[in-house]
Amino acid sequence: MARRAKSRTIAVRIISMAMTGYYRTMVRPRTSRPLSMLKYDPVVRKQVLFLEQKRGGNK
Amino acid sequence: MAQLSNPDTLVKVAKTLPPRLLEFFRRFPPTNDYATGPQRPTLPPPSESPSLTPATDILKASIVWTDPTFNPFQPWKNPITGRWRGAMYGLRRQADIVNMARRYGVEELLPHSAKLGWVKEEKREQHGLRVKGTGERQRVKGKEWERTQKGRLEKRREAMLKMPEMIQTWKERGHGRGWKKWPK
Repeated sequence: MARRAKSRTIAVRIISMAMTGYYRTMVRPRTSRPLSMLKYDPVVRKQVLFLEQKRGGNK
Repeated sequence: MAQLSNPDTLVKVAKTLPPRLLEFFRRFPPTNDYATGPQRPTLPPPSESPSLTPATDILKASIVWTDPTFNPFQPWKNPITGRWRGAMYGLRRQADIVNMARRYGVEELLPHSAKLGWVKEEKREQHGLRVKGTGERQRVKGKEWERTQKGRLEKRREAMLKMPEMIQTWKERGHGRGWKKWPK
């Protein structure tokens, strides 16, 4: 049976670099480079750098 | 105790006591022989008191009033029948008497009871508040978030200290274009 085609976009998790465990989930095209942005972290109540989490091997 | 061992002082103190305490001390005069645990009196050896017949001895040991160690605050075992007799004073009445005696400063003249201040303190020291971890040489384990909180806060603090530098690097590297260290 043919495997389902991979979707064009993927949901990724960008996590706060303030090490608070806070993260947001975003959707990006599969082929684009990983997401990184400045966003507000409510735990430290500041705008901090969010970087995309490396995805697991089987995804 | 030193004060209360003097008979004159005792008489003086006795005059100030309420009737209920006086009655108690009349029935159970202060001695140092009170048993501190549940009592199992043994039959007195017949050779000690030759004037008594063995039957009298047995009778004497089996009556609470003739047992010098009888403690009305503790259960007592009849040596003849082997049956236990409950404490003459229940815990509530013991507490009443102990509290009253404490107010009049004669707590140390009472027989041993679980309600006595120092007995309670000893127990408290030994067992803590009966809450796990509050006794001697014990510590409260706490929830996992409590145990790891310090470390996590420290990690967060360090990360926040490095944050401006990190954002600067990120901006210099084309907003993530040249970024190599992605978090796992």
